Amino acid sequence: MNPVLVLGGGPAGLSAAAELAALGAPTLLVERESYLGGNPQRWHYSLLAPDLRPAQEVMGPLLSRVENHPSIERRLSTSVVRAELRPKGYQVVLKTQDSTETRDVSAVVLATGFDHFDSRRKYEYGYGRYPDVLDFKEVEQMLHEDRVVRPSDGKPPRRIAWILCVGSRDVQVGNPWCCRMGCVVSIKQAVEVRQRHPEIDAYVYYMDIRTYGLWEDLYWKSMQEYGVKFVRGRIGAVTLAEGGSRLIATGEDTILSRPTEVPFDMIVLASGMEPGTGTKEAATLFGVPVGPEGFLTPRVSDLNPVDSGLPGLFFAGAATGPKAIPDAVTEGMGAALRAFQYARL
Amino acid sequence: MPIVEKSLVEVDRKEHLEVEGIDVSGDWNTFLRSRVQTDLDVRVVDWVKGQPQGETISRCWQCGTCTAGCCMHTDYGLTDFNPRYFIYLAQVGYEEELRRYASTIWRCVSCNKCVERCPKGVKVEEVVHTIGTYLTLTGAAAESPADRFDRAYTENLLARGVLDEAALFRTYERLEGRKTPAKKLLSMGLSLLRTGRLHTGPLAHRTRGWRRMRTVLEAQLAEDERRRKGALAPATPAAGGNR
Ligand code: SF4
Ligand code: SF4
Ligand code: SF4
Repeated sequence: MNPVLVLGGGPAGLSAAAELAALGAPTLLVERESYLGGNPQRWHYSLLAPDLRPAQEVMGPLLSRVENHPSIERRLSTSVVRAELRPKGYQVVLKTQDSTETRDVSAVVLATGFDHFDSRRKYEYGYGRYPDVLDFKEVEQMLHEDRVVRPSDGKPPRRIAWILCVGSRDVQVGNPWCCRMGCVVSIKQAVEVRQRHPEIDAYVYYMDIRTYGLWEDLYWKSMQEYGVKFVRGRIGAVTLAEGGSRLIATGEDTILSRPTEVPFDMIVLASGMEPGTGTKEAATLFGVPVGPEGFLTPRVSDLNPVDSGLPGLFFAGAATGPKAIPDAVTEGMGAALRAFQYARL
Repeated sequence: MPIVEKSLVEVDRKEHLEVEGIDVSGDWNTFLRSRVQTDLDVRVVDWVKGQPQGETISRCWQCGTCTAGCCMHTDYGLTDFNPRYFIYLAQVGYEEELRRYASTIWRCVSCNKCVERCPKGVKVEEVVHTIGTYLTLTGAAAESPADRFDRAYTENLLARGVLDEAALFRTYERLEGRKTPAKKLLSMGLSLLRTGRLHTGPLAHRTRGWRRMRTVLEAQLAEDERRRKGALAPATPAAGGNR
């Protein structure tokens, strides 16, 4: 049996590869970066919402299942540059910096994931211009290193604002969808900050709080136990205060019905999720239909969210839309099963 | 140019006013203050949260269920009395806006419908009263008649360990600067006595060992008061006016 190709080494791809190997299928895991683990690894996620479990406790076992398995062939810093449908599976061309190689695979799982929205595109928030405007994935790293300070002067902030829906639910940047994660991750960060530094005031600016399902619990706790404050309204712009050290968030408090210009020491942007570069490339390579948002579209997403509808081609994780790690892992399992059934026929 | 809201301006109309021979009649007080909210102050919510009756304040997520059923707001039609809004102002830290409601916030009749209905388990009635207390203690609200009555009641009870309703009535009248005509007082007193609704307190009842008890209670009340006010001492002065 030719190996099953898993494209992408994030949570979904790792999960798919591990399950395929457990089913006894030879597996070829291809990752464009030089490391496995995807976005959580790349941005050094700190604690995972909503259980506040260290990301390493989740990523560690996922990685070790793949790294130690003899029937998983891992190819890092490698991309697929060509793919052709064969009577059984695909023929793909793998490319590294200095070599190309043609391989036959019996089925393909696309686990090509998402990219965080580039907050510079929301220029009015000053990301990239003001050092104390941070993207929330940078705050993950800060929390991971347990060092909450203003990048501009290394001083601890006294008041932090989180701005939700940055690059999501916004036609101006062409991303009308909801990122699903921004709320819960921001709230989690605010909780982490308050847990460690109760002297820092934490404000979340929101239009809606979408901590769906059981995540609601963290939202409630953040208010009740950690005193995180929620202000309704979307910040319109961030400027530098006179004198130059604090930031001013200009917005409307829509409950107060009044404009607000409030100083903060640090502002954190909950940047959205976009189809990853790898996802866009894979869509072209494999001729997969994409929705208006640019994510891969399962043929009948209600019935089988991991089936592309094309022969031998399956999806897992955030390649089909914003997704949390547990969902990505589950889809990795589903896609592994479906790919295995196809490959074995 | 700040955005301003005319309805927030209280016009002071001077029909005929002359200063040093110059006619300055007209609308005074029409300088418009900026409506831009430039700060957040966590001291209000910190204090409210620190009171036993106020600790549920931070649960509120502004759904409006409380206000929707509030006797004062909905049934009585006092739309300025909006428990949800008071909570938001305190929670987020818009103290100045909150002060505008210093004389309204006391209108709660403690029907507790809000507490029954709040999906987040906010003890709305208690929280609203606690916010009101904050406003009184910080001098934003004059002491309300209810406050004065509470004070008179406590002092009356403390004196002998049993309520002297006639004395309470007299004290309260004095505090309010009111005087009911003696004739009316007498007939009212008599009919209350006849129907058993006026309790003569110390005339008919003694509380044994009250002196000792009172010492303990007074010490405790003084301690409570000290703590209440102590926590209010302005925490951090504005850092460069920006906090
Ligand atoms: S999850 Fe929250 S932050 Fe993200 S787009 Fe949806 S509402 Fe906005
Ligand atoms: S207890 Fe007070 S605030 Fe609550 S519903 Fe009744 S009047 Fe309104
Ligand atoms: S019902 Fe409860 S949660 Fe809703 S606005 Fe009132 S106090 Fe807040």
